[in-house]
Amino acid sequence: MSDDTDRLADRILDARAELAPLLEEARLARLARSEGPGTDGGAVCAWNHFENIPTFFNWNNRPR
Amino acid sequence: MEKGRAVCWNGRVAGVGGMRGLASVPGYVVMQPTTLCNLDCVYCYLPLRAADRRMPVAVAEAVAADANVWAAAGRFSVVWHGGEPLAAGREHLTALMAPFAAGVEQHVQTNATLVDDAWCEFFAARGVRVSVSVDGPEDLNGQRVSRAGRPAYDRIERGIGALRRHGLPYAALCVVSDPRPGLAARLYAYFLELGCDTLGVNIEEREGVNERANGHDAAAVRAFWAELAAAWRADPRIHLRELEWSLRYLGAVLDGTDGGLLPRTLDPIPTIGYDGAVVLLSPELAGFHDPVYGDFASGNVLTSPLSALLGSASTGWVPEFLDGIEACRASCPYFGFCGGGHAANRYFEHGRFDGTETEHCRNSKINLLEGVLDHVRRH
Ligand code: SF4
Repeated sequence: MSDDTDRLADRILDARAELAPLLEEARLARLARSEGPGTDGGAVCAWNHFENIPTFFNWNNRPR
Repeated sequence: MEKGRAVCWNGRVAGVGGMRGLASVPGYVVMQPTTLCNLDCVYCYLPLRAADRRMPVAVAEAVAADANVWAAAGRFSVVWHGGEPLAAGREHLTALMAPFAAGVEQHVQTNATLVDDAWCEFFAARGVRVSVSVDGPEDLNGQRVSRAGRPAYDRIERGIGALRRHGLPYAALCVVSDPRPGLAARLYAYFLELGCDTLGVNIEEREGVNERANGHDAAAVRAFWAELAAAWRADPRIHLRELEWSLRYLGAVLDGTDGGLLPRTLDPIPTIGYDGAVVLLSPELAGFHDPVYGDFASGNVLTSPLSALLGSASTGWVPEFLDGIEACRASCPYFGFCGGGHAANRYFEHGRFDGTETEHCRNSKINLLEGVLDHVRRH
């Protein structure tokens, strides 16, 4: 059964080789910004608890 | 995905969890200390921004009665929004903040024009986290103007200069009215120079009293986001909200954990209007009236506790909105990334709350994810 969701997921999976280095760069950048798990500073805190990013930097429900 | 296209159900669509119903405890409340704004930005959605209607301290006391309990149990924030919150003045804002316990985080979203040394000292003394609204370098800020129509950029820059002088970290929100290639790299370079630690990029939305059309060429929007991804990658010092969320989702798909990425329930994010009226989910609906939906308010904190109003959100437009979330879940391949469209975008674009795709979600969700994928494939 192939629907739009599968096609989106397939396209993402197909890009794994290109995505992997970008994801690693992003992880290192987060560490450099002191946004590792358990840290609490600035407008963005607690990377592992993204429901708990206050102000309009919360993605859900208002990415404002 | 186009509206009306037949969708096959499969495990993956049905498997996207989260966003089912409203949480009984919010993560933050948005408070309107005054309706007044000293600017008159072209794209602003606020209906009462020329009037100075101030929030009485009794409203803050009523909200604090619940907020202090919530903050004792977990992280909880108050976001002072407007109008321009600083237009309420330090004395009044001090009185409004006073009922909140020290454990409640305080945030302001400000146009920065009034920020000076005294405000910086106020922020530092109270640990207030600051986010400024600025749309990029001077020539890209033409829509942020005074009531007389004069550009506000020099005053915005002065205010941000004060924050920097005082060593206060700050975030920035940038409105982009015409997303297109050639713009994003310039914007990102500007914000690197500006020194904000967090950046959110909002493609202009059609909502509130802003009725300007927000449909854009999909290829141009994708190219905008792809260019922003490339610019960020070259120097990822800033927490760029749109990129962070895109990458988190893409990583989760690679790990096979994308079905569980969204919050379990929707945060009701109550907005407390200057008069104590409570509007859930979308601050943009506050102050509006519709012949069918009324004033969108769930009640008023001066007559019922906020916690009680949250518990009675099963009336009015909210159930229709929750149907809309389920419609997104059932029909949209991007739901696991997006979490479903926002109430104000649905209402101001469709006139109701149970539709699915909006121009906003095409600009800021679908073409964002596609733009990041374009960047990755090209890199
Ligand atoms: S709002 Fe989100 S989930 Fe709904 S149609 Fe748009 S992208 Fe899909």
